[in-house]
Amino acid sequence: MEFGIFMELSVPRPWTADSERQVYENALEQVRLADELGFDYVWAVEHHFLEEYSHCSGPDIFLSACAAQTKRIRVGHGVIPCVPQYQSPIRVAERAAVLDIISGGRLELGTGRSATWPELSGFNADPDETKKTWDEFVRVIPKMWTQERFSWDGRMFSMPERAILPKPLQKPHPPMWVAVTSPGTEVDAADRGLGCLGLSPGGFADSEKKVLNYRKRIEVCDPVGAFVNDKVLTVNFLSCNEDGDLGRRNGLKVASMFSYMAAQLLSAKEVLPTHSYPSEGLLPALRRESGSPGDAAKSFKGVTMGTPDDVADAITAWENVGFDGINFIHQFMEVIPQQYVLDSMRLFAEEVMPRFKTGTTTGSAAAAGRPVPAGVA
Amino acid sequence: MPLAGSLDIRPLVDGAPEVVLDDHELKVDDVDILQVLYEIRVDDREALVPPALNPTIPLVISFLVYRAKESVYGPFALAQLRLTARSGVRPRCYLISARCDNPELAEVLAGSWGFRVSPGEISLRRFHDRVDCSVHEDGRLILQTSLVDPVPVTGHDVQYPPGMHLARVTRDGVLKPRIVQVDSEYVFRRADRGRPELTHFDRQAWGDARLVPDIPVSASFAACDLTIANVRYICNPDIPASEGTEKVSDA
Repeated sequence: MEFGIFMELSVPRPWTADSERQVYENALEQVRLADELGFDYVWAVEHHFLEEYSHCSGPDIFLSACAAQTKRIRVGHGVIPCVPQYQSPIRVAERAAVLDIISGGRLELGTGRSATWPELSGFNADPDETKKTWDEFVRVIPKMWTQERFSWDGRMFSMPERAILPKPLQKPHPPMWVAVTSPGTEVDAADRGLGCLGLSPGGFADSEKKVLNYRKRIEVCDPVGAFVNDKVLTVNFLSCNEDGDLGRRNGLKVASMFSYMAAQLLSAKEVLPTHSYPSEGLLPALRRESGSPGDAAKSFKGVTMGTPDDVADAITAWENVGFDGINFIHQFMEVIPQQYVLDSMRLFAEEVMPRFKTGTTTGSAAAAGRPVPAGVA
Repeated sequence: MPLAGSLDIRPLVDGAPEVVLDDHELKVDDVDILQVLYEIRVDDREALVPPALNPTIPLVISFLVYRAKESVYGPFALAQLRLTARSGVRPRCYLISARCDNPELAEVLAGSWGFRVSPGEISLRRFHDRVDCSVHEDGRLILQTSLVDPVPVTGHDVQYPPGMHLARVTRDGVLKPRIVQVDSEYVFRRADRGRPELTHFDRQAWGDARLVPDIPVSASFAACDLTIANVRYICNPDIPASEGTEKVSDA
């Protein structure tokens, strides 16, 4: 199993001149520790305009700082909105390549399309178009990385032949993923040979069915890149403490606050009648799973909170479902003290992580991926 | 923590409907529904909703218009002005005010569900290229809005969050301010969406001059069977809904 930490960079009110700096400092301290402890990934979201919920609008810059302050942990976009009003695919390819170079080949590129009304309307993007533009982004980015010169005449954008520079350090290119929240996106991921970056914990049975379907379909995929990334990661809330009650209590604080804050955002689905967003995305699923501050504190099955044994049991259950790893949300809105977060990570790394790690640490996912026969990519 | 409402409800309580909690539900077949949504521009979001609720980011107003050719109270049209909000983690819309052209039904809507409703003349006309709505009060135009260029969608694509209506409800023998949650069920026969158009909106007449429409969001038109369910939840407007919600019926 692989383990990552997932950074939303939420900044609670009241805001002071120092609030955002402090959140970023805390996050970087967690990343440095995660690197030392052997976590495999740090993922940073890209959100815009989401007051308090996420102040992470420049994830490549944050991830550059992560890369500069660490040696081994892989740095991941979780995820880049593939919406042309947010950014051109050219800029995504260029900036990702720079990050791959300065991180020494540690980049993971997660892709997605945004699901909130404030973001989509803030950039004047059409929610009906985002599936289509995402598809074009993920087809062109690996070509921009691997072709010496690239030209394109597509539906979303066109460009004359140019050399898109620099090229990423990882060859043939960094691993690519897609955020899976809406039903059926795991099929899109499989058919394109993309890794499945689960952002919404579901029930065991439902998850198992999705993972099996993904595994089956990716065997016969037509990959958009030069290799197949067939990993499936899920997300969970981490709070590990020798005192199981304290571990659950603090974990539920994070989960409840995440759910509560996510619920305040207007989803695209809520205000725009559209087929493009069959579900409301990540937020409502987590909202259902984690309850609200008004509910009595309760745990839900499969949550990675409590004693090291509790956490290990939950991970075993997800491993049995077929996941290759779990990314943890371990802090949100600074609801638990930084020292608790760091201690929880340490205890997890000492007592839990070794039970799921066999052999060497994770290397380049690109190297581990399934190569595509010559002429296919 | 998310922004919490800070609306001072005291000036509104006297005019709030007195609701008798009972098992009353209203079923109406073949209702036409127009919903037009606009983001609003406002400096003080919190001041628009009571402390029980949270304003959404961004705030959106909804013009929600029902028209039925028949019901147990006869034909009617009802136009509501609502504001998107959250009750804890639940999507809701806070009712600012409503107009109804059927006095008998208006009395029932106020007494059973806390609709802050007054008389109005409401026109809702569906064409193939647009749906037009106008609302007059005492002969004066107070709303003119449209859906332009309708295209079919499914009923699953359309959402009307439950209403939150400020009312007065007897608790422990005393009439107290409460927010009544109004849950409605919709069985869709057809649905369209289109471009929203707002050509006239008298903010003062609708009860809150601070609601300045800014960015058009969406418009939908649906034909459906409507059930307004009996009241199941009420909440204290002065404290967060997650703490002040009371279940008053299991049905």
